[in-house]
Amino acid sequence: MSNTYRTIILARMGEIALKGLNRGKFERQLIDNLRWRLKEYGAFSIVQSQSRIWIEPKDSNPDILEDKETADLVLHAVTQVFGLVSASLVWKFDGDMESIKEHAVKLTDEILSEHDYKTFKVESKRGDKRFPLASPEICCDVGEAILIAHPELVVDVHDPDFIIYVEVRENRFVYSEKLEGHRGLPVGTAGKGMLLLSGGIDSPVAGYMMASRGMQLEAIYFHSYPYTSERALEKVKDLARIVSQYSGTILLHVCNFTDIQLDLYKNSPQDMLTITMRRIMFEIAEELANKQGCKCLITGESLGQVASQTIEAIQITNEVVKTMPVFRPLIGLDKEETCNISRRIGAFETSILPYEDCCTVFVAKHPKTHPQRKHIVEAEEKLDIPALVKKGIEGIETYKIERVSRVNE
Amino acid sequence: MSIYLDNSATTKPLPEVARLVYETLSGEESYGNPGSLHRLGVLAEKDLDESAAKIARLLSCKKEELYFTSCGSESVNTSIMGYVHQNPRAGKKIISTKTEHKASLESLEKLSKEGYEIVYLSVGSDGRPDLDALTAAIDENTALLTFTHVNNETGSILPLEKIIEIRNKKNRNTKIHLDCVQSLGKLPISLSRMGVDMASFSGHKIHALKGFGLLYIKTGVRVAPLILGGGQQRGMRSGTQSPYLASAFALALEEATKNIDENLVKMTELRDSFSKELADLGATILSPYDALPYVLNVSFPSFQSETMLHCLEEKEIYVSTISACSSKTKKISYVLSEMGVKRELANNAVRFSFSRFNTKEELEQTVTSIKEIYEKYKV
Repeated sequence: MSNTYRTIILARMGEIALKGLNRGKFERQLIDNLRWRLKEYGAFSIVQSQSRIWIEPKDSNPDILEDKETADLVLHAVTQVFGLVSASLVWKFDGDMESIKEHAVKLTDEILSEHDYKTFKVESKRGDKRFPLASPEICCDVGEAILIAHPELVVDVHDPDFIIYVEVRENRFVYSEKLEGHRGLPVGTAGKGMLLLSGGIDSPVAGYMMASRGMQLEAIYFHSYPYTSERALEKVKDLARIVSQYSGTILLHVCNFTDIQLDLYKNSPQDMLTITMRRIMFEIAEELANKQGCKCLITGESLGQVASQTIEAIQITNEVVKTMPVFRPLIGLDKEETCNISRRIGAFETSILPYEDCCTVFVAKHPKTHPQRKHIVEAEEKLDIPALVKKGIEGIETYKIERVSRVNE
Repeated sequence: MSIYLDNSATTKPLPEVARLVYETLSGEESYGNPGSLHRLGVLAEKDLDESAAKIARLLSCKKEELYFTSCGSESVNTSIMGYVHQNPRAGKKIISTKTEHKASLESLEKLSKEGYEIVYLSVGSDGRPDLDALTAAIDENTALLTFTHVNNETGSILPLEKIIEIRNKKNRNTKIHLDCVQSLGKLPISLSRMGVDMASFSGHKIHALKGFGLLYIKTGVRVAPLILGGGQQRGMRSGTQSPYLASAFALALEEATKNIDENLVKMTELRDSFSKELADLGATILSPYDALPYVLNVSFPSFQSETMLHCLEEKEIYVSTISACSSKTKKISYVLSEMGVKRELANNAVRFSFSRFNTKEELEQTVTSIKEIYEKYKV
């Protein structure tokens, strides 16, 4: 028997709704991003109405959401698009009050087959004022029908185990669960930033956080083969791919850093090595960012986390960047909070894979934690920094990182 | 041309093996299930039987004592767990060392949780188990001894004859399982004369194919099967057998056995001059001097294992490390650590493992490359 309803998706916008005159620009970007994110699942009609977005499979693709597993994947993909507070799978159908009751009961059957719920309530909205019953009456009738079908349930309007939502508009809609979105603003509404991506936990989270403010991302990774392995590079590509689920396509620039690092090692003092290295990384990243039209650098630094992230060390690396801000969205976060975000975006398991690197040979046993100007002047005396930066820029290889399509997942 | 010095991990299949596999798999009548009653089945069974006979001849045992498995680990698992499970009255004690392959150690760990007493003998700097401790440990209650013939990380060779002697003196009922994965094709193996009761082998370490293991169980020794099913191989190892994997193994074993003594002499010479050159560069040889010459474990000052591995990889020379390089946890090889090798040395350990096909030129090229690596990458 074919369904008497069609499954569609209802998504709710967050912060965008607070925008003033340029709200339209944000909404258009959000819809574009949704269309891009759902491309692999086929064609959808995506229509915005007030603070909500209705996503409906097009006729070329009518049954994509009727299979529960696929529908869940699509719903999950929708919630990964920045700018949405939540999204639900919704049954769309026509008919009178009887039809609404039937669908509400059937939805309840499905919910109870998966969950051991005891209490519920019904909420309704009537957009179509021609409908003969008012919202409270719709709630009562639907509630009664559900209780008749499931006498073991109890109504609890304050803290129910589940809620059945009923909406009466041009069509009728019932739904229950809301899957939380990642909120934020649509990517593409806040320019482009250059993320300094390592293989660790922090930098992918930093990228995700800036993308959640609408920023498009490019990334630079400093590769020191043979001190770091091919696998470490593969891991960084995997991390970029995970972030790209949220941020859209990322251009990953891999800078061959080995010779630069050896030069630093031979020509600057041990205890300043991390600082001189980071200064050069920032310079290379800034030059590349300018070339690529990025308007800021993004790092995963968090104050005090390691020797190179004291305020003195941050100041002294920060000052080499002259033409753009350096954003450090994790600066005030506790490591545990960062790990939680990393888990939530699905990066943690990849971040903790053990092919860290053998760059530890370049890490001094006792790095300077409070470097001063005189130290850095001394440390860079013997270095030809412009030449090193040039070498870094010339040795860049760029990869286009896109999220893995469903087929390969 | 690349230089492959990771033959203890796996080997390149012989061209003859590749040809044989291709011909068998593409043949019109050579794909049958040896259990089928029709002609194709009979052909496959005959093929399998010939391979078993050939392998039995090469290893000096009866073909009824051989079972085909999927890998060395399966053979090891079956021997260790299958023997003690089948023979509860043989005793609750098993004696081994901590330098065994994980296939053994994990089996022993499982048995320990089931209530068996596992005695791990300490090993000396030569990688050999303490034989006095062995003499003291074997008693009435000892069901099984399990040892590795040649250690996969260092090449150290088990003093098998002495162990058999001790076993015979202390408790003739105690059985011995020998893990021969690394010694097969490199040391002469004559099962009927060695005095072992069970032995495990693997195909892909002798230029045959991955996916094939061999298990020897001496007549009269009873072992519980690990894999149950259609009762193939006299109920000892169910699952459809693969005639082409077996004939590939038989062929590779035949080739390896042909000049086994000459190869051992040649490899000893190569290893000796290679290790001398490395020592001259300041490296420390961690393998015992009397180890099997096919394996050489070396520690390079100033280079963590993985760095050296990638430096060599850049020059298309492939080796292995056991210690993983990570800034947070530095894991070193448990084998080296049991042998009492210092942490600083173990951190920098690299394993070169050779095959009879490696040449003097390749090893010389490797020494040259290591010199270049020191010049370019030493920090």
